[in-house]
Amino acid sequence: MFKTSKICLGAVALSFMFVSTVVYAGEIRIGITMRMVSENGQKYGRMMMDEIDIINKAGGINGNKIVATLMNDECKSDKGVANANKLISQKKIHLLIGSTCSSVSLPIVAVTAKAKVPQIIPHSTNAKITKLGSAWVFRVPVSGRFYAGVNAKYVGENIGKRIAYICAADAASQNDCNAMQVQMRSQHDVEPAYVAQVQEKEVDFRTHMHKIKSNNVDGIMIAALAETMARALIQSYEAGMDESVRRIGSSSASNAPVPKIAGDAVKNVFFAAAYAAADKRPIARLFNEMVRERYGIHAPDHDFSQAYDLIRIVEIALNNANLKLDGYSLADDRVAIRNAIAGIRNYQGLASGPISFCRDPSPVCRDGNRTAVLIGYTKGGEQFETEVLARVTMPMDFGL
Amino acid sequence: MIELLSRINNSISALTRVHRLLPWLLAYLVLLPLPKFLEFSISDYYIDLANRACLFILLCVGLNIVKGFCGQVTVGHIGLYAIGAVSSALLSLNYGMSFWVSAPLAMLITGFAGIIVGLPSVRLEGAYLALATLGLGESVRIMIAVTPALGSSTGIMLIPAPVIGDFVFDSFERYYYLVMTVALLGIYLSFAILRSATGRAFQAIREDPIAASVVGINVNMYKLLAFVISALYAGLGGALFAHMPPGYIHHNNFTIIEMITLLLMVVLGGIGNIWGGVIGAIVVTVIYDQTKDYYFYQPLIFGISMVLLVVFMPRGIGGLIERMIVKKKFIKKHEDKEIGIA
Repeated sequence: MFKTSKICLGAVALSFMFVSTVVYAGEIRIGITMRMVSENGQKYGRMMMDEIDIINKAGGINGNKIVATLMNDECKSDKGVANANKLISQKKIHLLIGSTCSSVSLPIVAVTAKAKVPQIIPHSTNAKITKLGSAWVFRVPVSGRFYAGVNAKYVGENIGKRIAYICAADAASQNDCNAMQVQMRSQHDVEPAYVAQVQEKEVDFRTHMHKIKSNNVDGIMIAALAETMARALIQSYEAGMDESVRRIGSSSASNAPVPKIAGDAVKNVFFAAAYAAADKRPIARLFNEMVRERYGIHAPDHDFSQAYDLIRIVEIALNNANLKLDGYSLADDRVAIRNAIAGIRNYQGLASGPISFCRDPSPVCRDGNRTAVLIGYTKGGEQFETEVLARVTMPMDFGL
Repeated sequence: MIELLSRINNSISALTRVHRLLPWLLAYLVLLPLPKFLEFSISDYYIDLANRACLFILLCVGLNIVKGFCGQVTVGHIGLYAIGAVSSALLSLNYGMSFWVSAPLAMLITGFAGIIVGLPSVRLEGAYLALATLGLGESVRIMIAVTPALGSSTGIMLIPAPVIGDFVFDSFERYYYLVMTVALLGIYLSFAILRSATGRAFQAIREDPIAASVVGINVNMYKLLAFVISALYAGLGGALFAHMPPGYIHHNNFTIIEMITLLLMVVLGGIGNIWGGVIGAIVVTVIYDQTKDYYFYQPLIFGISMVLLVVFMPRGIGGLIERMIVKKKFIKKHEDKEIGIA
């Protein structure tokens, strides 16, 4: 009796394991791995899932339902790779979306290339991602190589050439900081007036700020994650530098915590991003309203807009792809989705410029958006305000 | 369950009497076809999970030597793991060394770092030693984060997979054979250390350092030795992690959260219990993986379970099983005695 029950239990456990990996035909399976540890991260992750729900409720993709799985990679490469492996091997996804962090997207590129699964990136800006030459990767955000060019052009022509740099240790900030210095050298033939490497979550910048002040600079580039950047901005004023020294933010300056934490210290800070909440286009106004109502965000940053644009691009690509979804066509369907994404031309959404992809596995074809918008803060605090300073489209091969 | 564990224990003892390596050889043969079984019965993703579990087993077994055998409170083990990973990766990429050369060299470098991490143990104990090792471990991560030559913010990528002839360990399944073999060897060596005079000296220091010094044990030297052996394990674990496909490491892989996860594995399995470390590594890896969908509550679940474990099960799962087996043996002995009397 005891033996029989043990055998039955074993059989149930085994069948449960099988059932958990059964693959149903007629479903388009999408895996999402993102950094879901911050308040905003959770909200734009949720927004992606909500948008997929809306597509499903409207009839899906040519009658097929999208089944999305959202996973947290905590911005850690090993967890991101494990997520990607799980989504590809176990969930048998057709498409992978992710990740938020460059340091996670980078190793995942190798995983998706080996498994031949299309990967579309919502936020990572590190230029190396598309330089790896994978035929399976596409990037919706503006690559770091373009941001640097836009920033350097504007700074050199409008602010001055004596620039100090505070560079935090995270991947995106390092990339932004180094690329800006390279661009200042190549466009204006100037060396940095001062460079400080700081921790990802540094709290005290006063020593650096005093040194920068004594260097009599025209501007300071603060390349750091949102909270760190806000602290640095406040401390730059505490060190006695007035508004005549322009503060240049890295791409994360667009994140809402910067104006909220920095308050008035954020005024006159400018940065290059892929979306401006101050955008006057009707599509942008509607989007701002939707995000405010659904997620309680006062002014969505480009992380929200890029996540939204990505889902729209995926929707177009899935509609264009000739999917069989018959249980034996996984590899063919993955190829079809990849080719359909590669066929996207001049997608006009919330992004600062049109997004286009093509077949060649090079950054020219896979860095979809090459237009950056220069945004300046006009008011800090909870109800912060911004203005669009300029919109610059870079040549496709810029920075390569 | 206790019956089954007792039987396994008795069978292992019987096999050991034939030859001390026989149970290990048998375990190796049983574990060899696991990837095929996982691939066909569940999903090849579980081979990747098994690889990660094997890596953690190696780390836990190493940590148990210094923490469980020798009783030294260290919270800097993850720093040693990072040193092993970065050293092996850089030796491979910058000097073109194969894994079979870079990994032993990385172990040596980590062993040397183990002396540095262990030095405070000569003067410090308990919470003070924990703080000192925590600082050293975290400073390693920070140094990697701010040094471009060590990967800095972008990390180190395209680290080559180990190769033997034409056989490249570049898939989950192939890597499993490497990492499982090393983990099993690591466990065996840990038992060998525990049974040796060195292991007994470690345990004597753990129970009472003053009494140990009175009987002629060089307490400082053995404490340092425990740190070095533990570091060698961490170095090898790090090298295996770095070369594991897709061959990418980043300083975010070596944070305090990873250290706490490692501690949870050892505490859950049972401090000072080798099999406990193995069980803890497997259980935590699997639970972590299966609760991924509840990422919002995951840190809370892990934090609470660690507190509950320390309060209600201080000797962990390994200790619990050991106690049950001993109890079972005692009851059986008592029953045999009674039957004999009757």
